[in-house]
Amino acid sequence: MATDATQLPTSKAAATEDVGQIPQWQLMVRRFRRSKLSVSGLYVLIVLYVFMIFSDFLAPYDHNRLDSNYAWAPPSVIGFENGQLVTYKLKQTLDQVRFEWFYEPDLSAPLPIQFFVQGYEYRFLGIIPSRLHLFGVEEGYQINIIGADKDGKDVFSRLMKGSQVSLTLGFIGVIVSVIIGSIVGTASGYFAGAVDNFIQRLIELLRSFPDVPLFLALAAALPMGVPVEVRFFLITLIIALIGWTGLAREVRGKVMSYRASDYTAAAVAAGASHWHIITRHLIPNSLSHIIVVGTLAIPGAIGSETALSYLGLGILPPAVSWGVMLRDAQTIEAITSYPWMLIPVGVLIITVLSFYLLGDGVRDAVDPYA
Amino acid sequence: MLNYIARRLINMVVLLVVVSFVGFFIIQLPPGSILDVQLQRFRQMSGDISREQVRALEERYGVNDPFMTKYWKWISRSVQGDFGTSFETDQSVGDRIWGRLGFSVSLSTFALLFTWLVSIPIGVYSATHRYTVPDYIITFIQFVGLAIPGFLLALVLLIIATRLFNHQVGRLFSPEFIDAPWSFARVVDMAKHVWIAVLVLAMGATAGLTRIMRANLLDVLNMQYVQTARAKGLDEVVVIWKHAVRNAIQPLVMALGTLLPALIVGETLVAQVLSLPTIGPMYLSALRSQDMYLAGTILVILSALLLIGNLIGDLLLAWVDPRVRLD
Amino acid sequence: MTVHPSAASIASTDDVICVEDLKVSFYTDLGIVRALNGVSFNIPRGKVLGVVGESGCGKSITGLSIMQLVHGAGRTEGGRILFREFADRDPVDILTFGKNSSEMRAIRGNNISMIFQEPMSSLNPCYSVGNQIEEAILLHQTDDKLEAARRAIEILTKVGMPNPDRIAKSYPHELSGGMRQRAMIAMALSCNPTLLIADEPTTALDVTTEANILDLMRGLQSEIGTSIMFITHNMGVVAQMCDEVAVMYLGRVVERATVDDIFYDPKHPYTIALLQSIPRLGRSKGRLASIEGTVPDPYSRVEGCAFHLRCPAKIDGVCDVTVPEEIVVDAAKGHTVRCHLYS
Ligand SMILES: Nc1ncnc2c1ncn2[C@@H]1O[C@H](COP(=O)(O)OP(=O)(O)OP(=O)(O)O)[C@@H](O)[C@H]1O
Ligand SMILES: [Mg+2]
Repeated sequence: MATDATQLPTSKAAATEDVGQIPQWQLMVRRFRRSKLSVSGLYVLIVLYVFMIFSDFLAPYDHNRLDSNYAWAPPSVIGFENGQLVTYKLKQTLDQVRFEWFYEPDLSAPLPIQFFVQGYEYRFLGIIPSRLHLFGVEEGYQINIIGADKDGKDVFSRLMKGSQVSLTLGFIGVIVSVIIGSIVGTASGYFAGAVDNFIQRLIELLRSFPDVPLFLALAAALPMGVPVEVRFFLITLIIALIGWTGLAREVRGKVMSYRASDYTAAAVAAGASHWHIITRHLIPNSLSHIIVVGTLAIPGAIGSETALSYLGLGILPPAVSWGVMLRDAQTIEAITSYPWMLIPVGVLIITVLSFYLLGDGVRDAVDPYA
Repeated sequence: MLNYIARRLINMVVLLVVVSFVGFFIIQLPPGSILDVQLQRFRQMSGDISREQVRALEERYGVNDPFMTKYWKWISRSVQGDFGTSFETDQSVGDRIWGRLGFSVSLSTFALLFTWLVSIPIGVYSATHRYTVPDYIITFIQFVGLAIPGFLLALVLLIIATRLFNHQVGRLFSPEFIDAPWSFARVVDMAKHVWIAVLVLAMGATAGLTRIMRANLLDVLNMQYVQTARAKGLDEVVVIWKHAVRNAIQPLVMALGTLLPALIVGETLVAQVLSLPTIGPMYLSALRSQDMYLAGTILVILSALLLIGNLIGDLLLAWVDPRVRLD
Repeated sequence: MTVHPSAASIASTDDVICVEDLKVSFYTDLGIVRALNGVSFNIPRGKVLGVVGESGCGKSITGLSIMQLVHGAGRTEGGRILFREFADRDPVDILTFGKNSSEMRAIRGNNISMIFQEPMSSLNPCYSVGNQIEEAILLHQTDDKLEAARRAIEILTKVGMPNPDRIAKSYPHELSGGMRQRAMIAMALSCNPTLLIADEPTTALDVTTEANILDLMRGLQSEIGTSIMFITHNMGVVAQMCDEVAVMYLGRVVERATVDDIFYDPKHPYTIALLQSIPRLGRSKGRLASIEGTVPDPYSRVEGCAFHLRCPAKIDGVCDVTVPEEIVVDAAKGHTVRCHLYS
């Protein structure tokens, strides 16, 4: 009777089909939504990016506008008088003992906050020229909703302008690195042989460099006197260059196992082209993994940009990024006497944190057992 | 086994040669050299220096040599253990590096121990209490730990330590111990000074490893052999610690190889804030001032550390996991 | 006509295990899975009970419940599992013990042990086979390490390992699937359990290895006298191994009889369909009969008899409304069925 062994006809396949009535992506969304932390991370990021898109509109001043009357000015006091929002002119006095500027709002001299004012010129989304800003005060005075730095530059305006670099550079760097990693990894795994061998040697070499020192050396080798856009581009390239090797290895492993699988063999037998097999079979199968790795890499890349700029090897003044702003917050003096200088640091931490939470949720949703 | 190690070592030497070549190339890329900085300082101090003097100096440092000559001079001397003379201080590069490297390594080793001691139990707790409030709290703290820049935490701890505890942190030793011979009191003194650095250094890595530990353990807990262990009648504590953790720890063992070098260079910013004499700030200033021999040497040494670390990681892995074969 | 064995009725018959109205549910992201909806059956001492049914009907969960090994999202929501170690002892209700309580741990691996479906992953890759068998012996039988090692080798010899000393020192990845399953059986039998739960122990093995393992289990069973709960998909294996059979469908036992009655006098339409789907040697030409339809989505609840959606003999207005009670067909042989056709 043992040779008569049979399985019941409607076995495993039937059971999985039933669960499969719910599409895979919907399952992922449900699993993602269960993680409250990740969902809040996503919402925070949406808010941050909306702010970034409208950053020039929201920022009242050019990020390099100096005003020595407002050096180390604290966050403006906002009041409500005669039916409108006002702030106050500042009385600037020198503290003779500590030799610091000391500010007090002059409550008898209200400054109405004006909305939809004309200010410095910018291009909305890099295209549409505009001078419109959400708010401002009378010419000759300043409103600093989160204070001013040592030169009287408005911290909020700098924060907004800096977001244009900090929220995009790491992100783009990761996208580029993910694209390189997937292409190289797929090629390596799919074509095997000499191509694979060469790529693996290259990856091995790149991984023999400790990444932070290599990163610093490359950044130090960047030309200094170039426009900020060029530097932005080059730093993005460095981030991409250093990040792709890990993903390429993982994708290669996946591709190799899929290549050995039956349906790839079937596609080959049916005369499908390399391109077809790669784009229709191999890439979709690694896609979820690629997305997870990418999402998890973004916070690190943002951190890299800020660290570089902080060290004076990344974005350089007069351009501004959150890393540049970190430099102003790095002294004990700033932390103890001008704590508002830490607000950009807080925003940076929240951004990175949100990306980590998002990435973690995405990973759990896509790949629940990892 | 010995065969394997020998092969890995040979491979490592080859890689290091290529690394030194590529690394040196990148480092000497920017125009100008430390000599320009040096000459300028010279001029400010003592007025003019003659063309001949300048030429002599250029000759001595080989700044105008073609790349290959520079590289060859540097690498052939390095192989003989002579790492050259730093442009900046006229001091032997070797002496300057070894002292700092020793400190960097010991600091990072402490940080690594801390990381392991903390992240394994917390990761285990988090995995075995998944989706409970403590797990969420731990998860959140981990991500905050990953997100806070190390130097900022260092700064905050520095302020707290000096303001609240009137505790001198930063630097290595109290003045009275700087030149004292090694003794128990000196070690205690050092510990008092470096605890912030160890804590800050360990923070990011601890947060990361806790995540990994949690994820791995969750994976392993789904394995059939964990059920087998329970089915034997083992206490859940034994099931977790003897059967599950042993299997979940492997990526952590492998991480050991990469983590130590990563910690050694990761401290650059922290060391700057706390003014610790480690290798990171030295590398950075060498890069900034175009001191290519010093920067190149440090880069190659760090790369060697990384490769050795990887080898140690692989050996440890083979020791922990009987399925891993070295070949 | 309904039978709900009370503690008193159990006392009269000698069952090792008597499961009564066991209910287990899983609370998942996608909803509640009612894996067991009131499972009742008994295992007579020294006998082999086969548990058969389609994938997902709750066979494994039943086995794991007896071991109190249902973890994660699973909750036991009712019922009793009475276990009687010796014929002259009072039964204990396993479900009153905590999952990780010392009482439960004293039973697991000692009085009741379990073998799993996947021999490839059921041994810990980090410890040697001998070490893993000794672990159970040291836990329940002796504190002497040398004695434990000796017994481990003895039991490895008993399960027909060719070179027990060497096998004891080797790691799971160095053994084939069949060898690993033998090692698992050795581990399970190392403490002479009263009951062995074998969850599809041969499904993952090739046919020759399967036959060897089944021979081995049958031989050891008659030698040691262990009762076995044998979970399988395979009616052929049932015929070869079992004395009695419980047929499960969607979290309930729908028919329970001796192996002869199941094959020659099946009552439940589901059992009949199951038997028709076995290919016979003589009849290999014709199409295999298969059961119409598929098992319903585990997240939904079926009103009435769970099988009525696929049942050829469905009685409208009855089968889709009320859940059939357990009917005694033949009290002497303990043949029961849950079907409206027999009430
Ligand atoms: N961890 C779990 N989470 C959610 N549902 C589960 C879980 N384990 C089992 N189930 C559900 O419980 C039901 C019974 O599962 P069980 O493993 O007992 O089936 P089985 O009869 O052993 O099937 P197979 O023959 O495939 O082993 C299934 O419907 C399954 O979906
Ligand atoms: Mg099962």
